[in-house]
Amino acid sequence: MTQWFLGIFVLLISLWYLTFLATRLDRLHHRVETSWANLDVLLQKRAAVALEIAHSDIADPASSLLLTGAAYQARDANIASRSAAESGLSGALGLLLEDSEHLSTAADNALLTELSSLTDKIRVAIAIHTDAVTRTQMVRSKIIVKLFRLAGTAPLPVTYEFESDVL
Amino acid sequence: MLNRSLKIGIVCPYSWDTPGGVQNHIRDLAEYLIQAGHQVSVLAPVMDEEKLPYYVVSAGKPISIPYNGAVARVLFGPVAFSRVRQWISNGEFDLLHLHEPAIPSISLLACWAAEGPMVGTFHAAAKRQKIIFAIGPILEPAIEKLSARIAVSEAARLTLTDHLDTDAIVIPNGIYASRYHNGIPDKKWQGNTIGFIGRFEEPRKGLSVLLAALPVIARFAPDVKVFVAGPGDPTDVEKSIDPQLRHRFEFLGKISEQEKANFMSSVSIYVAPNTGGESFGIILAEALAGGACVVASDIPAFDDLLGQGQFGALFKSEDSTDLAKVIIDLLRDEKKRSELATAGRARGQSFDWEIVAQQIYSVYEMSIVGSEKVKLASDTRTWNRFLSKDEK
Repeated sequence: MTQWFLGIFVLLISLWYLTFLATRLDRLHHRVETSWANLDVLLQKRAAVALEIAHSDIADPASSLLLTGAAYQARDANIASRSAAESGLSGALGLLLEDSEHLSTAADNALLTELSSLTDKIRVAIAIHTDAVTRTQMVRSKIIVKLFRLAGTAPLPVTYEFESDVL
Repeated sequence: MLNRSLKIGIVCPYSWDTPGGVQNHIRDLAEYLIQAGHQVSVLAPVMDEEKLPYYVVSAGKPISIPYNGAVARVLFGPVAFSRVRQWISNGEFDLLHLHEPAIPSISLLACWAAEGPMVGTFHAAAKRQKIIFAIGPILEPAIEKLSARIAVSEAARLTLTDHLDTDAIVIPNGIYASRYHNGIPDKKWQGNTIGFIGRFEEPRKGLSVLLAALPVIARFAPDVKVFVAGPGDPTDVEKSIDPQLRHRFEFLGKISEQEKANFMSSVSIYVAPNTGGESFGIILAEALAGGACVVASDIPAFDDLLGQGQFGALFKSEDSTDLAKVIIDLLRDEKKRSELATAGRARGQSFDWEIVAQQIYSVYEMSIVGSEKVKLASDTRTWNRFLSKDEK
């Protein structure tokens, strides 16, 4: 009799643990998605601001061309080439900002402050996203998770390689 | 860009009515956010419920436990858990900001009970402890629910990566820099003077290091005076001072914020000889903002805050000979002193709440997605039911 109870008890505990792990994993997947959505919006915004800068007086014709190209690439890139395209845009913006600091007027400054506040936010968003991804990968590498297929059909999130220093 | 009014719930792990860095930080942050037009509710353990600000909600009376080399007044247990859950479900918060969620406290309970946008701030800096192997697996799933983690200093971030294997964004503690900016130099504190502020009875504040260095300093600068401010009873300390040097010391007791500002802009050198246990060093930030020339021990937090010596001089921690040397050099070199003070003042500005709160708010924005609100977690529902039955 006692053995039966013990068996049921152990079964219940392990069932609870499995559901617990599954919710944990579900939450992590949710976090990966939302943090990516956040980051995506910010990057799109940055590309838009970059275009505006390209059309303003801050940029000389040559860098304007460079910037416009990079911004369009970043906007149109598919998932696989997104990272490279965004890095390209960072580089183009960095080049421009490096020597434009002293010649910008008050009106252009508004654009530049917007860009720098966006960059700050992007940095935070990247940190949050990368963390969510590594956490998820960690939990999904557990044997129990693999054995019981707790992750279901959700694709394994991939680390998005950003240059650690955006601008 | 504080443009959308949010409902923010902040959880303070330590007793609201005992003075402490975390509590001050939360109070200032809450008041800043309220001023910026947000609705803020702070949940904290409270000893005396009578003199509470309107935004603080009591979670019950705290208990004292030894933690990290000091006594922490925290709160946990089933009753506290149900209060936390009640606060969360009544609050309808857009975001929860949990402070120090890795210690047994209502912050951890809130982290356990809630689901949705959550930000955690880690204040403590401690050496790696063995116990983490035991509690790590319990903490991890809870800490994992935080959408973003903030560490108040590089030291706190390292503690976090060491202990829980996760990274954090470093955002320093805030000060109201403008309050310290306009200190009026006071004649009685000027000259060859050294300032010290803190609870000097606590050994880790390091007043004894300064005491040991004084005989040497007095030999080179005979007119040196030391002003010690801060709460505490000076009789014991006074007894330990060499009688010949006793008149060089003056104990000022607890001083007001305005006096503090004047103090910082008057003394030649401000000394922070802390021997450890410090994670940020808010008083150093205040001293820098007040335009003092700062000398501090080279513990990680101070080293970081002073930019490895760029914004203030460093000496080898607990080494009174080195301290004496650094102080004597600076007392003799007025140019270097004013250089350090000028660099320090600019550095102090970067800890102003205007800047710090903006950074914290960016993290809030990143954590809030759509209009999702904080709610009770689904995976503890069974546990919740079990608990509420238990209480009756």
